Amino acid sequence: MSRRRQITLAAVLLAGAALWWWRSGSSAEAEVRAVFENFATEFNSTTSDGLGLIARAAHIGESFTPDVVIELGQGSPPIHGRETLMGMASRLQPRTAAFVLELDDVNVDLRDPDHADVTFTALIRRRSGVSGEESIDAREFAAEAVRADRRWRVSRVVAIDTLR
Amino acid sequence: MEPTYHDSTLNLVNRIVYRIRAPRRGDVVAIRLAGPNVLYVKRIIALPTERVSIIEGIVEVNGAPLIEPYVHSRQRWNYPEVTVGPREYFVMGDNRGMKMGDHDFGRVDASRVLGGLVF
Repeated sequence: MSRRRQITLAAVLLAGAALWWWRSGSSAEAEVRAVFENFATEFNSTTSDGLGLIARAAHIGESFTPDVVIELGQGSPPIHGRETLMGMASRLQPRTAAFVLELDDVNVDLRDPDHADVTFTALIRRRSGVSGEESIDAREFAAEAVRADRRWRVSRVVAIDTLR
Repeated sequence: MEPTYHDSTLNLVNRIVYRIRAPRRGDVVAIRLAGPNVLYVKRIIALPTERVSIIEGIVEVNGAPLIEPYVHSRQRWNYPEVTVGPREYFVMGDNRGMKMGDHDFGRVDASRVLGGLVF
């Protein structure tokens, strides 16, 4: 094989490897982002009957690892475990149905093929039943996601004190 | 930031101004959370290394009461003295008519201040 052919072949292989690396990275990022989008969608879905509540809580739980830890900041004790979270999602549904959750500015940073660091802003829109006025609360979070069995799940969520 | 700025209105942020000069007390600034799409709008109350406290709703900076004509209603908040870090600002909203726990305020890292509000 001539030297020119060798160089061309090496360049093609290098470009292919770079494309594969870029595509796998961006697809993993999209998968992690989808976990958060799905969580918000499930969180905002409303249901009132018992089976619906259980199914909704189960869908919410699918976004998290069994040993997930959620730290909501001062005044709120940490939530340990997916089962606890699902129980809360089921019990608090009448209250959470009063507001809409949006996750914005979701930034995904792949630490390695199976671990990602994520930051996002949670927006909660609530409409007063009395005045009809809408209020918006915003809170910043940092999260960790892990991939197991080809599926990304959230393993940790921590509230960030933007203002201390 | 009621009554100076109302919820759900369009505001313009000057992102160049703090490349030219440092933020000043009284400036209304946009503060970044996780990204550029959701921002806090707050007023700068104290500058780096200053001491801030709130006594019966009156803000004190370095032990002297701060005159705040932009605050139209205030509750009797009490907040122990803190010293602002060398790369921080102390920010508050103008609406102090609610419970202190319902109001987001405090020290913010200078890197989060995206710019000043033009209107």
